[in-house]
Amino acid sequence: MHELSILWLRVAAGFYSVGMIHALLLALRRTSRLFPPALTAFGVGAILHAVSIIEQTTLTGHFPANNFFESASLCALLSALLYLFVWWRYRLRNLCMFIFPLVFLLTLIGALGSAPARWADVRVREAWLLVHVVLVLAGYAALAMTGVASIAYLIRERQIKRKEALPSSAEAPALLTLDELIGRGMTMGFVFITLGVVAGSTWASIESGARWIRDPRILISLATWALYLVMVFLRASAGWRGRKAAVMVIALAGCSAVTWAAHTGLRKLLTP
Amino acid sequence: MKLCLTGINHRTAPVDVRERLAFDANSLGPALADLVARPGISEGLILSTCNRVEVSVTSEDSVDPAPVIERFLAERRGVEPGWLAPYLYRYEDADAIRHLFRVASSLDSMVVGEPQILGQLKAAYAAAKAHGAVGGWMEAVLTRAFSVAKRVRTETGIGENPVSVSSTAVELARRIYGSLAERRVMVIGAGKMAELAVRHLRSAGVQRIYVTNRTLERARAMAEAFQGVIVEYDRFLDSLPEMDIVLTSSAAPFYLLRKDQMRRVIEARRRRPMFLIDIAVPRNVDPAVNELDNVFLYDIDDLGRVADANLGRRRQRAELAERIIAEEVERMVNRLKLREVAPTIISMQERLEQIRQAELARYRSRLGPLTPAQEEALEALTRGMLNKFAHGPMAELRRRAAQPEGLQTIEIIRRMFRLDD
Repeated sequence: MHELSILWLRVAAGFYSVGMIHALLLALRRTSRLFPPALTAFGVGAILHAVSIIEQTTLTGHFPANNFFESASLCALLSALLYLFVWWRYRLRNLCMFIFPLVFLLTLIGALGSAPARWADVRVREAWLLVHVVLVLAGYAALAMTGVASIAYLIRERQIKRKEALPSSAEAPALLTLDELIGRGMTMGFVFITLGVVAGSTWASIESGARWIRDPRILISLATWALYLVMVFLRASAGWRGRKAAVMVIALAGCSAVTWAAHTGLRKLLTP
Repeated sequence: MKLCLTGINHRTAPVDVRERLAFDANSLGPALADLVARPGISEGLILSTCNRVEVSVTSEDSVDPAPVIERFLAERRGVEPGWLAPYLYRYEDADAIRHLFRVASSLDSMVVGEPQILGQLKAAYAAAKAHGAVGGWMEAVLTRAFSVAKRVRTETGIGENPVSVSSTAVELARRIYGSLAERRVMVIGAGKMAELAVRHLRSAGVQRIYVTNRTLERARAMAEAFQGVIVEYDRFLDSLPEMDIVLTSSAAPFYLLRKDQMRRVIEARRRRPMFLIDIAVPRNVDPAVNELDNVFLYDIDDLGRVADANLGRRRQRAELAERIIAEEVERMVNRLKLREVAPTIISMQERLEQIRQAELARYRSRLGPLTPAQEEALEALTRGMLNKFAHGPMAELRRRAAQPEGLQTIEIIRRMFRLDD
């Protein structure tokens, strides 16, 4: 990609990141006052994004959809424009929770396609990787806790629905308590894993240039993150809770286990 | 000393007989005074509840206390002894202790494991204590009965699961929501059954109650009784998304809440869980509503089935409780027998000390003035000899006390040491 074009794309990703922060706050606290500035930043980001693509088209003489990175960037812009239209027409605010992180991550992937950067120092490289690993592990820990709560929820819900006997042990957490635990664990895990994915994508692009996206482990991670995003969005917007949320969390924990297994090789890089 | 218990309960006597024998709070004091004033009776206790009337006494060995209690009951309640006799049961000594332990532990109750009986027994004991009717053996047995009841409750968990329809509904609500303090409850229909269930919910901590009924007057009466809010009957569906628990007991001959309506309600409340208690017959809520996620519907039969299952669990736990009680009765009987030998042991110790002091006084003048160290040595020598001499008979006395021939042993030792002179 042309240097100026990539610069605009990176600045656009910076603006989109405000939207993602808003989405994460919304997931964590169920409320955020950041929506107006996030929407403005999102709009500015979309304009700069469009400038980047137009410039790239002008300079190369063809539409930039030749590889995965360019396609990701284009997909992000189209999603951003579509959301801005929906917002202008229907004022659908909840959708931002899904669109903002998605657009940011796709744009980030697009911007990492060129990867001209190099590691300044081997210690920075290792520290960066450590941050990524710690964030992802924190996310997995939250997810594991949520998974256990989900299993407990399904057992207790089944006992109550079957109406055969009073569910044993009054000391065990009530259904509502388990449901709240699932909700909180889910959002905490989402925040950690999102930040971990951003850190990991950046690390991988600097480490292995444009080849990183073809790594199946990265694709599995991105797919797991996308599933997580859908789940958090469904809970926040459509009120998915109870049994559906518990089943979804267990499915996600299964996907995360696959991702974890795929990534265990990364440990080698941490040891000198 | 003898312990005797005579009385009637829900198994031996119908309610009209129990009613005639019952003592109310006002008549209890004079009755206790009368009981312990009867010849040969040392202590007395009267336990009078809706399911049982029992009189327990301790008496001297020479007296047969059962006819005394029977006469007492007949005279105090104005009935013929012959009329009363077929309904009465009688327990003595270890059997009486076992019965008292079983009653305190709620194993003899109509609903096994119900918690009220222990409180009633404690109240009976407090009344007897206040009137000076207990203070020896009986007191020891009763205080032990309270400890046994606590042990049974803790070790078997016999009272954990509710066995009535209303309390089962409350426990289910707790399993769904945990604390009920912040929950909103809507009552549809203001009948007696609903009132009972709301009373249970209130005592479980529910603060916010909303009442709706086709007849406004009845809704108002119930709302006033429970500090609730009246909701217009025609508009109660609009309020449902805000409610966590819905109790229906309307006489409507059709479903007031159908699956499609409840689907909209649960979506409107963003799928937060909802507990529907349908105690109406015919039912007010379509059973298909239970198929919806996050909606939990229990009708009167479901609640009854859960309550029955709990009762079955209680019966299993009662078997374990019986084993605990058998062990405790044996321990109590041994302890009481030891209490019987205590006066003999004390008399023996006093007798030997008298002999020691007398002999010391006799020989002191011959020994002349002694130094403090010599005095101390002489004390230790004589006391040590006596202790060693008394150890064998006292140990035997304690050992034999727990056996049937205990009384004979006491008698022999008393004669050997001339303790009755």
